Amino acid sequence: MSTHDRLQQASDWLHERFPLEKLSFESLFQKKEVPVHHMSWGYYFGGLALFCFSIQLVTGLLLLFYYQPTVADAHASVELITFHVGGGALIRNLHTWSSSAMIFCVLTHLITAFAMKAFERPREITWVSGVLLLLITFGFGFTGYLLPWHQIAVNATKVGLQSVEEAGAYLPGALADIPRQLKELIQGEAAVGQATLSRFYALHVVLLPLAIFAVLGQHLFMVQVHGMSQGVDKPTGKMEKFFPIFALKDFSIWGLVFFVLFVVALCLPFEAFFSYPLFEPFDPQGSTPDGIKPEWYFFFVYYPLELLPFWLIMILSGVVVAVLLGTPWIFKGTSRKTLRNIAIAVTVYLVAMTVFGQQIYEFFKGGSQ
Amino acid sequence: MLDLFLFVGLPYIALVLMVVLSVYRYRTQRFTYSALGSQFLESNQLRWGSLSWHYGILILLVGHLIPVLLPGVWQALTSIPAFLIGVEVIGIVAAFLALTGLLVLVYRRSTSARVSAVTTTADYLLLILLIAQVLVGVSVATGARWGAIWSTSTTTPYLWSLATFQPQPEYITGLPPTVKLHLVLAWCIFMVVPFTRLVHIFSVPIAYLWRAPQKVVWTTPAPRPSAACAPQFQGRDSRRYFIRGALGTAGALFLLSIGVLEKLGRFFRGPSLNAQQQAELLQKKLERLELAAAERALEIERIEKDYIFVAQLAELSDTDGKYFTDYHMRPALAFKDERGLPLLISAKCTHLGCTVASTIANGRILCPCHVSWFDVKTGMPTPGAPAKAPLPHIGWVLMDPAGNLVASQGAGAAPSGEIDIAQAGSYGVYIAKQFEEIA
Repeated sequence: MSTHDRLQQASDWLHERFPLEKLSFESLFQKKEVPVHHMSWGYYFGGLALFCFSIQLVTGLLLLFYYQPTVADAHASVELITFHVGGGALIRNLHTWSSSAMIFCVLTHLITAFAMKAFERPREITWVSGVLLLLITFGFGFTGYLLPWHQIAVNATKVGLQSVEEAGAYLPGALADIPRQLKELIQGEAAVGQATLSRFYALHVVLLPLAIFAVLGQHLFMVQVHGMSQGVDKPTGKMEKFFPIFALKDFSIWGLVFFVLFVVALCLPFEAFFSYPLFEPFDPQGSTPDGIKPEWYFFFVYYPLELLPFWLIMILSGVVVAVLLGTPWIFKGTSRKTLRNIAIAVTVYLVAMTVFGQQIYEFFKGGSQ
Repeated sequence: MLDLFLFVGLPYIALVLMVVLSVYRYRTQRFTYSALGSQFLESNQLRWGSLSWHYGILILLVGHLIPVLLPGVWQALTSIPAFLIGVEVIGIVAAFLALTGLLVLVYRRSTSARVSAVTTTADYLLLILLIAQVLVGVSVATGARWGAIWSTSTTTPYLWSLATFQPQPEYITGLPPTVKLHLVLAWCIFMVVPFTRLVHIFSVPIAYLWRAPQKVVWTTPAPRPSAACAPQFQGRDSRRYFIRGALGTAGALFLLSIGVLEKLGRFFRGPSLNAQQQAELLQKKLERLELAAAERALEIERIEKDYIFVAQLAELSDTDGKYFTDYHMRPALAFKDERGLPLLISAKCTHLGCTVASTIANGRILCPCHVSWFDVKTGMPTPGAPAKAPLPHIGWVLMDPAGNLVASQGAGAAPSGEIDIAQAGSYGVYIAKQFEEIA
């Protein structure tokens, strides 16, 4: 193959993935259509994730007005927001509830997109950027958890970061110290302290938002250019116009979700599900209180981490991330039926670990003691 | 006496009447076993009335049944505050849903000429009974709060005593009058079941939940445009739909923005504290600043000093450890061993870094995060614990009040130096930089 052919091939590849000629009013607005079939509900979750993200953006910016990222003041400033600033409790609750909703939507979006084989050519890059968005979203969750600087926040962060160091035990010789150094690089000092808080704050408020803007921009652009994927093996032939019908439905669902989140945020503080001592300010001199857990959306890796040897989890998570990133090529020839069964199995696993993780843990641990 | 009638006689009469007469009616007038749906007479209001009523009352019935059927599980669940609040909120919402539905249904029966023509006295009686019951229920929920909890030790055992034919009305005779009225009305409703359209609860239309929707329609040509082509976007009607939709959206957005802007306005105006609250807040901040300052002081001390004071030897106990901070700013514990010498051990769990608790039980200390027990003497975790590596011991130095080094022990080394037992109480326990650098 000559160089010219190779260049031609590369440019064809690029052109197929970035069909810029579709950037016209006609194809973006007038002709855009959404397929109608039994999996159509899956098309709404990407938009919902975007909507939750915009709630996060607005409420997050509002919280910035009063939050103080120092070890001495962080907890007091969060208390000030919750108890003294008008509407502060609502905005903070909205931020926490909507973060959970965002993770839920992102995960559902990923699973339905997988089951609908939405990653098929020419949408590979959209899928990969989606996986990056998932990782960034988890990053938001992990860094944001530390900011209120209460017992559960700091201790759960300690536990999370310590698992980085654990990896050192499986590396030979001089490499064995690298995970520890990596951990200290992340937390900024030997123990979780002011340096960690500053770093996580910077990550949560500046770096991750910049990253998500970049990747999200690319993701949305690709979605606009390529339109909705067909989603099923045998298209029903029924189509819905994107404007105004699908957009209207999308907006009504956003309105409904906002209403639900608003009511929940107004009535139920997120902390209501934990016992109070976990929300006392972090005390570096005291012992760790009972019941330290990560947020529910990390249960699917937290409980296996408790049950299985660490190296196994390390390998498994590496494999999962690799498979996720390589999905468009690994599952190229797989039928939608198989994909759907895989998606169902994954969903069952995620739901079981999230809802019954504690019971599963006790079931297995109870036997060994 | 009245209590005995209302809570023992009446329930049995009601239940017997309900069962016997329902069976009788089924055997003699089988085709009256129906909800007597009147959807083909009037469907618009029915949709709002019937749907909200049925969703509301079904949620309420489930909420009333679970505590009776699974009292143990329910008691455990309601001890979680969030669950209790959640259940109560759901209950109130369902009650208002049911009440709204009933009011719509009453309005419909009395205003629609077609429907009121087929309405019997029994229907009105039933509606009134149901409205009264829901109202009393709401007043129980608001007046005698947390019914989800107290019902498990009052009404649940009462109902079980009825079901097992050993009636014990004592469980409920002390309850507030609204609760008793709620029960009496419930028995009355049971009693009227066979005389009214309520018999449809026995035909349990569970299949309605998944069967394809069926709609009763006139067989004469429909007065509406066919549903197949969405009317909103067709023909001359579209302008009307558009204006209605636009007005509705604008109104909703207006209301939404008023609500949001009000909250935002208050948020930006900031906290409004009175002098006392302000003082408390500043006091709290001051305390936390002092804590942070103390941490900083510890850090400086650890960088600059060769020895750091932990405790007086006399202060140390062999069961309750004293927390201190080691040279790496990690938590550690100080005990006294059986020889009366200091025993210093890291308190940072080797599993995931939680701080280990300070009390010794059976010679071991516990990390509460994932339940690892560590032997204090060896530092070793018990087999099978999540932690695999031992907690390291920390070297110590004993000094007399004059600051002379009396004895010392590096981590893992044997103690050296001479200890004067009579003076031991005045010795101070220190950690030393020299041991850290070796370790």
